[in-house]
Amino acid sequence: MSDDIILETYNVRKEFGALVAVADVSIRVVRGTLHSIIGPNGAGKTTFFNVVSGYLPATSGRIVYNGQDITQAPMHRRAHVGMGRSFQITNLFPNLTVLENIRLSHQAVGKNSFRLLRSHRRFGEHIDRADAIINRVGLTRYRDLPARTLAHGDQRKLELGMILAADPEMLLLDEPTAGMASDEVPELMALIQEIQAEGSKTVLLVEHNMNVVMNVSDMITVMHHGEVLAEGTPAEISSNETVQQAYLGNLYENLQEASDHA
Amino acid sequence: METTISKTTAERPTLAWLRQNRGTLAVLVVLLLLPFIIAIIDGQSISSVLANESGNSKFFQGLLIEIFILGLFALSYDLLLGITGLLSLGHAMFFAVGGYLTGILIKSFGWGLVPTIAAVTVAAIVQALLFAVVLPRVKGLTFALVTLGFASVFHIVVQSREAAPFTGADVGLQGVVIPAFLDPVDQRLRVYFIALLITMVVYFLYQRFVDSPTGRVCIAIRENEDRALMLGYNTFQYKVIVLLISSLTAAFAGMLHTIHQPIVSPNIAGLGYMVIALLIILIGGVGTLSGALIGAAVFRLLDFFIDRWFGEAATFLLGVIYVLLVLFVPFGIVGTWRQHSSQFTHQIEAIIERLRPKKENPE
Ligand SMILES: Nc1ncnc2c1ncn2[C@@H]1O[C@H](COP(=O)(O)OP(=O)(O)OP(=O)(O)O)[C@@H](O)[C@H]1O
Ligand SMILES: [Mg+2]
Repeated sequence: MSDDIILETYNVRKEFGALVAVADVSIRVVRGTLHSIIGPNGAGKTTFFNVVSGYLPATSGRIVYNGQDITQAPMHRRAHVGMGRSFQITNLFPNLTVLENIRLSHQAVGKNSFRLLRSHRRFGEHIDRADAIINRVGLTRYRDLPARTLAHGDQRKLELGMILAADPEMLLLDEPTAGMASDEVPELMALIQEIQAEGSKTVLLVEHNMNVVMNVSDMITVMHHGEVLAEGTPAEISSNETVQQAYLGNLYENLQEASDHA
Repeated sequence: METTISKTTAERPTLAWLRQNRGTLAVLVVLLLLPFIIAIIDGQSISSVLANESGNSKFFQGLLIEIFILGLFALSYDLLLGITGLLSLGHAMFFAVGGYLTGILIKSFGWGLVPTIAAVTVAAIVQALLFAVVLPRVKGLTFALVTLGFASVFHIVVQSREAAPFTGADVGLQGVVIPAFLDPVDQRLRVYFIALLITMVVYFLYQRFVDSPTGRVCIAIRENEDRALMLGYNTFQYKVIVLLISSLTAAFAGMLHTIHQPIVSPNIAGLGYMVIALLIILIGGVGTLSGALIGAAVFRLLDFFIDRWFGEAATFLLGVIYVLLVLFVPFGIVGTWRQHSSQFTHQIEAIIERLRPKKENPE
């Protein structure tokens, strides 16, 4: 295997009873790229993320990260090998402040978590880093407010900030712009691209917004009914006949409808 | 790369600490003087208080010792439930193990105080680890039921006829002779100061813990355990730490209980006793720590005065009061108070926010 590959899955499968949510998915993610997974609702994208990030055990198959088999590794271990993940549905510490949400994320990958009798304020490195990130994602004025009081779009930014704080090598982002106002989307995507480029990080992105995906991705995997329908560069995907006919055209219409309804 | 916060606290940590805790320290001073204040009001001389002569002062010392013990017990429950979000229904066992072990070792085996303390420590660690073993296997309500199972078995065992030579079965353990220097009657004032000191030290240590990096993770676990795991925290380890601290605290509260009242009743191992801990933190405020101590005082004093004033109807009245408290002060005394004061600061912040000139967006 080339060590250019940061993440490789071999026939990863996830069944919920009789339902096969992810059917033998094998993908390779090249280090330093932005790799997107697209597919209609229920295609199995989130489930695939859940298996890769250890939130759900795989029914079968293998996951290799940086040459290490992590198929059985518990969720908390995966953060320490360099994986950070965001959730499609906002997943924060709702009653803790913005600062504390991000500080906890930075503390998690440091060495100070087993200090029982000193104030956490004495470990200034985590606070400094959290403040830098709060600035970066543009939440400075909400620093000391509980996360639950933030507007939805700001909560998505906070979620991104939490991943950044851990400084992971690979970011798994499940629809980071879900539910955001459309004028906020380009800003967040630009930020994600910036982060990826300057830190030479790898991003695995699930996204519904086709324009966004075509613009930012190096590689695209199309999922459908739990299977990989196609894989290729944005140019290849948009000219792929099967994808075009079987799915893309359809999805464009769906998206059109959805935005008409909204 | 020091932050401003750590700089200012580094300058005069003791002063800052004193300022932060001035309320608690004031209470401590009052409690230190209280036996004498009561005596003076009562027309009793200071020397008679020092000689442990009976009177109102001695009586209220006893009541306060009970409050300290209940407070420690509730504090240890708040650490599990209020801070970490772990619902255990076996908490009475944590307390009773300390209570029974102290009684049995002193009475049946003639052990001294120091080896007894060591034995209680070991027993507390063992029972915490017993609870920890099942943690990874069961979550939420199942954990609560499993811990209830453990505690029920313990309750049945101490009441069994086979254990009667040691535990006194359902009559309870009687005739424990406490070492003379801690005699609950002749040395009441000393026991009072010791119990007060232990309670205050434990309370400060708990405050410290909850503010520490480890304690913050425990709060994160309560808030959203999956997210904590995803950030890379092995949440199991934190729960084990919290179980150990809680078990040690409860077991020593149990030990104090036996020292203060050398009759160990099987009631302290029952579900009802755990419910007292729950009720106390509900009254005081779940997850506030100070609420555990305030709740213990309210609980015990209400119990005492209602009983004194209303006699027969006391139990019914207490039930009504607790229901009303839980209904109308849902976040407990401390929780509700904090909410009001933070709402107040939020309102001020909102006003300042409105007055501040808005930055205009280009375009
Ligand atoms: N925990 C679960 N138990 C049972 N079925 C599940 C579970 N999670 C997901 N599914 C099912 O698996 C299928 C794939 O769902 P998944 O959420 O992975 O799709 P998705 O591609 O992320 O969709 P969307 O675009 O709506 O987010 C769906 O049919 C869903 O109902
Ligand atoms: Mg999804």
